Amino acid sequence: MKIERFTFTERAVHWMTAISFVYAGLTGLALWSHKLYWIASVFGGGPATRFAHPWAGTVFAVVLGLMFRSWVSSMRLDAQDQVWLRKSLQYAMNDHHGVPDAGRFNAGQKMLFWTQAVAALVLFASGFVLWNPTWMPRAARLIAILVHPAAALVSITGIILHIYMGVFVVPKALHAMVRGEVTPGWARAHHRAWYAGLKGK
Amino acid sequence: MIVAKLIDTSLCIGCKACEVACQEWNDQEFKPQPEFLGTYQTQPELSHNFWNLIKFNEIEQDNKMVAWNMSKYQCMHCADAGCMKACPAPGAIIRHANGTVDFVHDKCVGCGYCITGCPFDVPRLSPKDNKVYKCTLCSDRTAVGLEPACIKTCPTNCLTFGERDDLLFQAEARAKELQSDGHTSAGVYNPAGVGGTNVLYVLKDASKPEQYGLPKDPTIPWTVSLWKGPLKALGTMALAGGVLGAFFHYLKFGPQQEEAPDED
Repeated sequence: MKIERFTFTERAVHWMTAISFVYAGLTGLALWSHKLYWIASVFGGGPATRFAHPWAGTVFAVVLGLMFRSWVSSMRLDAQDQVWLRKSLQYAMNDHHGVPDAGRFNAGQKMLFWTQAVAALVLFASGFVLWNPTWMPRAARLIAILVHPAAALVSITGIILHIYMGVFVVPKALHAMVRGEVTPGWARAHHRAWYAGLKGK
Repeated sequence: MIVAKLIDTSLCIGCKACEVACQEWNDQEFKPQPEFLGTYQTQPELSHNFWNLIKFNEIEQDNKMVAWNMSKYQCMHCADAGCMKACPAPGAIIRHANGTVDFVHDKCVGCGYCITGCPFDVPRLSPKDNKVYKCTLCSDRTAVGLEPACIKTCPTNCLTFGERDDLLFQAEARAKELQSDGHTSAGVYNPAGVGGTNVLYVLKDASKPEQYGLPKDPTIPWTVSLWKGPLKALGTMALAGGVLGAFFHYLKFGPQQEEAPDED
């Protein structure tokens, strides 16, 4: 028996977000440090990288907006999540005793969602300012030139953690996001409160 | 040998011959203003195909008369150049052995960060090829022993080209001369905030460079320094730390259990 965890639309939106994020992220890293400039050759050289970066960011903005709209109602942090976050270190050491049962998303996933949402807002606003130096006054560009990479670092660090969790730490989590289905045993192990709610229906 | 340009603003008559020479040597089209802007100044500011502008700064004097504080505006060729610091493309902004800051357009990616990094607001993005342009200090002339086109053409000796140390000495002497002529605050404009510039000015009133259209204490913007300094170090640690942390976490704790048994 299989349980549907993510609909086709959710998965499609997630992976469009992921691909545009990686494209914007790698082209951004190429322009962030001279030592990473070699990445630009993968994307067709410096000018092509500079041209593609804001467009990849625009695609990312649109699909992230869709993802935000479809998941935001499941992402509100409640009292149980506060307890979960206090026990997050214990959770990280694979000791789940006393860690509250997670709903459709656990508190760590919710924190990632909100961190990415805020970082993305900063990235879009500052990215627009930096897109063309003739669009915005110098004062705005001076702020943007600092907060754009700062927000990107927060975002990329969060995504490194996200990929590690989804691919390595939680078995079959990647499968759930690719094919959309999980087993009852998986749902019990990782999102027990969500599973209980489904069963109650 | 570091070369420099000395601009003695007290000798500028606003003839704009240097503007013409710059346009001619660099093969730029001349673009007249579509309408009269109420000033003799050729255009309000620099542009991607206009690298050298005589500013007709109108200053009201104590006697209520208006004076022109002529100043020649172009790339300052800073010793500590904000454009170079901000540029993400290796080799797109270079410094020649003679101190000249030059843009290499083959390597320019057109991001415009140099425009934001420049404390003098000099570089300009060309809408034609999306690359940034500015005064080259005629590096194609100085490389073969010629002086820059603007210097060559100046009819009043307002402009001098030469070894930077000599020009500094000459500038100080000229400032003293102006002081003894009654311009008590005459001095040299060579801002320390950018490590000094390879374009030096003698100003009749050095206490108010703004009256010549020059910033008072230009420095590389702190946001650019913070981004290219501590933030870069912090970012490298965060990214490398994230990857290494994940790697060692997996070695120590490994994956979670895949399934929980059915308790029903």
